[in-house]
Amino acid sequence: MLHLIRLELKKGKMSSHLWGSLIAYVIIAAFIALLYFINDIEIEEASFRNYTELFQAIDTFVRATFIIYSSVLLAKFIINEYRDRTMSLMFTYPISRKKLIMAKLSMVFLFTFVNVIAGNLLIDALYIAIDTQIGKIQDILTVELLSKHAINVLMQAIGAAGMSLIPIAFGMRKKSVSTTVVSSILIVLIVCSNNMGFSLSSIIAIPLTLAAIGILIAYFSFRNINQIDVG
Amino acid sequence: MTDIIRTRLLSKSYGNAEVISNVNMNVQAGEIFGFLGPNGAGKSTIMKMLLGLVKPTGGEIELFGERLLIDSREPLKRIGHMIETPVFYEKLTAVQNLELHLEYMGHHNPKAIREALDLVQLIGIENKPVKQFSLGMKQRLGIARAISTRPELLLLDEPINGLDPEGIQLMRHLFKRLRDEWGITLLISSHLLSEIEQIADTIGMIDNGRMLRQVSMETIHSSKTDYIELVTTNIVHAAYVLEEKLGIRQFKRIDSKLLRIYDTQLSQAELSKALILNEVHIESINRRRHTLEEYFFDKIKGGDQHASSHPSGA
Repeated sequence: MLHLIRLELKKGKMSSHLWGSLIAYVIIAAFIALLYFINDIEIEEASFRNYTELFQAIDTFVRATFIIYSSVLLAKFIINEYRDRTMSLMFTYPISRKKLIMAKLSMVFLFTFVNVIAGNLLIDALYIAIDTQIGKIQDILTVELLSKHAINVLMQAIGAAGMSLIPIAFGMRKKSVSTTVVSSILIVLIVCSNNMGFSLSSIIAIPLTLAAIGILIAYFSFRNINQIDVG
Repeated sequence: MTDIIRTRLLSKSYGNAEVISNVNMNVQAGEIFGFLGPNGAGKSTIMKMLLGLVKPTGGEIELFGERLLIDSREPLKRIGHMIETPVFYEKLTAVQNLELHLEYMGHHNPKAIREALDLVQLIGIENKPVKQFSLGMKQRLGIARAISTRPELLLLDEPINGLDPEGIQLMRHLFKRLRDEWGITLLISSHLLSEIEQIADTIGMIDNGRMLRQVSMETIHSSKTDYIELVTTNIVHAAYVLEEKLGIRQFKRIDSKLLRIYDTQLSQAELSKALILNEVHIESINRRRHTLEEYFFDKIKGGDQHASSHPSGA
């Protein structure tokens, strides 16, 4: 499996996605900056009353961004290979079709997982550093708070990684890149939209269930792959 | 001789449309099997079925003496192929594409890439991305990829499409070399008779998804009959003279002015003398040989009748 992933990496310049992730972090950090600084003038109450709120905002942004980003990768690794007919070339190799697809899906899963964790880690660290200088947030950063947050991020990362596979079920129907990306946006809208501090993701069971659904959906999308005619 | 490919009553239908119907074919080890048929006859579909890309709806396939199952992967290690227009990872270079191919095939010979590119004479392009290649270059690269693993069986679908005359000649030599020096069995499809005629050891004629006839080139050469072609203004009189005065019954009216006489007992000189004596006006008279083309069209016409009376195919 690792060998297959290595070969996938050889096909496209993955370094561009490394840069893509970094740029995404910068943009998320900038958005958070808007929330963090802007209220100075307009509203009396601070946007982030405590660290929990700050972390939650960062986490939501990061997950939303990378669920959508990974749908682009799904489209690139799977849908585009069908459209360019390189998938039929792949299927003439003496390797099980399921394994080939599994390699691609696990790359997307890992991409989301790693980026959600790294994004949270980096941007959290950045704002903790900023806040020690500016001191807008009132409460005290405790080890307990941090470790609770770390566990939450880990769970959310698993949730997001699983959910990032859901769009393939829609995209595969007509082998459409846009369907794949649009369905990921819909997923983000449903899961990450925040209503008075409450979103579907705040109940950790929901993202985890959706993750399980994502993995199941991906499995069922390719369950019959051996019996299907290609190109 | 052992059969490398054997199909029995192989069929494929999409809904009610049957695109391949009861094809029986045998490709023997070490031969070049020419797959001849018009566009859309089903040549590519059969090749895709051999590769497991398209699943048969009836019949069975044996490769290397073993039955091909729905998820057989092992035979694929021994097959090189180029089906339709070859596809590549366009942003990668020729060498990178071949490297990937060898990795996926599990073939580890660092010299294989160089060797394959040399054989198809694709030189000096190694670092160009494939998207900058011309159709002919892609075709050559496709063939290079197919042979890079030194397969035992090579499936080439219209391999000379898009090649210039020089390239066509090169490929012709290459195919024979692969057979003779590497012992590869080749299944080559083409809609061009003249092309197949020059390289194949055996020809399978396919039309409308049916294998009309599988025949060795030797048989075709030996069955090429001679005939005399007569052009005359009064064909009815000529036919009368041939049959009644000269006792020749084996002739065929081709059109209103043309007769073909298959009885070659009589020499051309004797025949023309006899015709002139009987006042048949001769515009021209020539001795001719059946070409493969005529053989082919004869079989296609005859084959249709044959296939309809025997649904199990040729």
